[in-house]
Amino acid sequence: MSEAEAAAPTGETVAIEQRADLRSFLGLSLRNGLLNLVTLTLYRFWGKTEVRRRVWMSTWINGEPLEYTGRGKELFLGFLFAVAALGAPFLLVVFAVQFGGPIAGLFVLPMYIFIIFLVGFGQFTAFRYLASRTLWRGVRFGLRGKAVDYGWAFLGYALLSGLSLGWFWPAAQRRLAGRLWGALSFGDRPFKFDLDRARRLEPIYPAFVLGSLAIAGLYVIGFGVMAWGMMTLGVDAVRANPALNLGMSYALVGFIGFGAIIAYAPYNAARLRSVATGVQLDRVWFKLELKWRDMLWLSLSNVVLVVLSLGFLMPLVQARTTQFLLSRLRIHGEVDLATVRQSAEAGPRTGEGLADAFGLSPI
Amino acid sequence: MRARFYDGRTAQAREVELTLADGRLAFDDDDRPHRWPVRDIADEDLGGIVRLSCATEPAARLMVEAAVWRALRGHGPTGADKRRRREERRLVVGLSAVGGLILFLVFVVLPAASGPLARATPPALEQRLGESFEAQLTTAMRPCRDLDGQALLYRFGDRFESLIDGRFNIRVRAIEAPFANAFALPGGAVLVTDDLIRDARTPDELSAVIAHEVAHVERRHVMQATWRAFGLGLVLDTLVGGGSGAGQQAVLLAGSATNLRFSRKAEAEADLEGVALLKRLRLSSLGMATFFDRLAVKEPRSAVGEFLSNHPSSARRAAATRALGRPGVAAFTPEEWAKIKQTCSSGADLRFAIPPLVRR
Repeated sequence: MSEAEAAAPTGETVAIEQRADLRSFLGLSLRNGLLNLVTLTLYRFWGKTEVRRRVWMSTWINGEPLEYTGRGKELFLGFLFAVAALGAPFLLVVFAVQFGGPIAGLFVLPMYIFIIFLVGFGQFTAFRYLASRTLWRGVRFGLRGKAVDYGWAFLGYALLSGLSLGWFWPAAQRRLAGRLWGALSFGDRPFKFDLDRARRLEPIYPAFVLGSLAIAGLYVIGFGVMAWGMMTLGVDAVRANPALNLGMSYALVGFIGFGAIIAYAPYNAARLRSVATGVQLDRVWFKLELKWRDMLWLSLSNVVLVVLSLGFLMPLVQARTTQFLLSRLRIHGEVDLATVRQSAEAGPRTGEGLADAFGLSPI
Repeated sequence: MRARFYDGRTAQAREVELTLADGRLAFDDDDRPHRWPVRDIADEDLGGIVRLSCATEPAARLMVEAAVWRALRGHGPTGADKRRRREERRLVVGLSAVGGLILFLVFVVLPAASGPLARATPPALEQRLGESFEAQLTTAMRPCRDLDGQALLYRFGDRFESLIDGRFNIRVRAIEAPFANAFALPGGAVLVTDDLIRDARTPDELSAVIAHEVAHVERRHVMQATWRAFGLGLVLDTLVGGGSGAGQQAVLLAGSATNLRFSRKAEAEADLEGVALLKRLRLSSLGMATFFDRLAVKEPRSAVGEFLSNHPSSARRAAATRALGRPGVAAFTPEEWAKIKQTCSSGADLRFAIPPLVRR
C-alpha cells in the first residue's frame, strides 16, 4: 500500500467493481439449501445474511470493499416480531369472517387495503435495514424519513394505478424508487433523487406501452390456440382427460408467463436505467448502460437457473445479478468522500422481518 | 507493518504502523494510541487484503495485506474465528432440533389433538363455520334449480337427524359442479354434485353416498380435518414462514401425508357407519358396494396410488361394504327418483368455458 493510495484526495471520482467469484456461490448455494432443508427453512435468515456478506465484500468502491454487518439473528427476531404483531390480528379477522356472519365481512376490504400499505411499509424498512448494515471505509449508510409515510405513498400510488387500469404503475414505480434512493445517505452525506432528470433522460413509457401491447398479443394467441385445440379435440374429450386439461392450463400459464419476461424486458431495463439516472451524491451522477437484450438474457437465464435447481441456486442468481448490473453502472463527477462523517443514526435493531414475511427484500 | 486505518468516525483513510506485542495489536493514529487484543480481533479475507475489526472499537477498521497479517499472527484460526465456528455449530444443531420439533408437531401432536378438539367444539360454532364454508362454496358451485328435487333430498337428510341425537341439522343439497362427488361440511351441510346424481344408477347408490357423508358429520371428521388444516397452516406460517421454498414444501408434504392417512381412515370409517345408518333406517345398504364397483373400474390399481390418495381404493371399499350390506326398502319411490334425477337438468350450460372452470 503506497502513500498515494492511503491518502484520500478531496474530490474523488468513484469507480465500482464487482469482483465476486461466482463459482464460490455454487458451494454456498448448496450449503444454504441443505441447511434450509435440515432446519425446515429456519436457517434461511442466517443463509441470507451470509449471501449478503459475500456479495458486499466482493463489491469494491475506489479500491475499498463494502462491508455487510447484518446478522441472521436480527432477521430472525424481526420475522418473529412481524408474526406476532401482524399474524395475530390477521388471524382474528379471518376468524371473525368465518364465524361472525356478514357484518364481519366488512373487515375484509380494510384488511386488504392495510396489506397494501404494509407492503410499502415493509419495502422501506427492508431498505433501511440494508442501508444501516452497509459500511464503506467504516462509515454506515442510512435512510432518512419514515416508513409510515412511504407506506401511505405506496398505498396511494397503488390505488391510482388501479384507477388508471395500470397505466400509472410505471410512474409509481419510478417515484417510489426515487423516494428510497433520495432518502439514502452515506454517513452524513445525503443522496438525492432528481425525478425530472430521470424522466427527461430515460423515458420509460414507450417500453411499457410496447410490453403491454405484446402481452395483449400473447393473451390473444394463447387463448386462441387453446380454443382451437379444444375445438379440434372436442370439449368433452378435453374435459374427460384431467391430464390433458391440466397440461393445457399449465402450457397457457407458462406461455404467458415466459412471454411476459420477454415482453417486459425493455421496460424493466428502461425502469432501472431511469432510476439510476435520477440518483445523485454531491456532484456524482450515475448511468446504467443496460440494454433490453442484456435484461432479457439476465431474466431468462435467472429463471432457468432457479427453476432447474428448484430454488437451490438463488444465492448464485443474486450474486450474478448484482455483478451483471454493477458492471454496467457508469459513474460521472466527483465527490469529497474523505470529509464524510459517521451518522449518529445507528439504524433499526432488528431486521426487516416484515419485509421478509412478504419476501420483499431485493437480495 | 503498514496498514490503512478507518476510525469509524469519518471516511478518511489514515496510514498507520502496526506492531504485535503481548497479545495486542498496537498502532497510533494522529498520536492517539490503539491497543487491540488479538483474541478479540475478527478478520475477513477479501482476497489479498484482510479487513480487521475489534470488539473494543466496533466501528473502526484496519486494512492489512493478507500475507503480512498471517505472518504476524500465525496461520491458525483466531479466537474470534473459533468463537464464530462454535456459534455456527450451535446454531445449526439448535435450529435442527426446532425443525425436529416442528415435524413432531405436524406428525404427532396435531393428529392426536384434532379428535379431542373437534369433539370439544360446540355444535353451534361448528354449524356457523359450516354455513360460512357453504356460502363460499356455493358462490362457485351454484345450487341446482329444481326445488322439488332439492326438497326430496333435504327431507331425506332429515331422516338421519334422530339417529345422530339431533346434534346437527342435516341439510342435503344438490349443486352444479364439473365433477362427480359429494361432501360433508362442518355442522351438517351435505353437498351432492349434479354429476354424481347423474352417475348414480339406483336410489340405493345415492342414499348410500348421502349416508356416508352423514357419517362424516356424525363422527365430526370434517371438524377434525379443519382443526388439522388450521394447525398446519399455523405451524407453516408462524414457524417456517409461508408456503414457498424447499423446507416449507417439506413441511407441507409431511402435513399432507398425515392428512391423507387420516382421510383414508375416516373414509373407511364413514363407509361402515354409513351402512349402519341405512340399516337403522331399514333402507337398502347394497348401493354402496355397487357404486364403488363402478368407481374401481376407472381407478388405476397401485399401492402407491392409494398411498397418495385421500380415499382407500374403491375395490377395497366395495369389498368391505358388500360384506355388511343388507337389502331393505329403497330410499326413494320411482316417482321421487325421477324428480331427483331432474334436479340439476335445468339452467345455463357453460360448455365453452376455460378447462379448469368447465362444467356440464
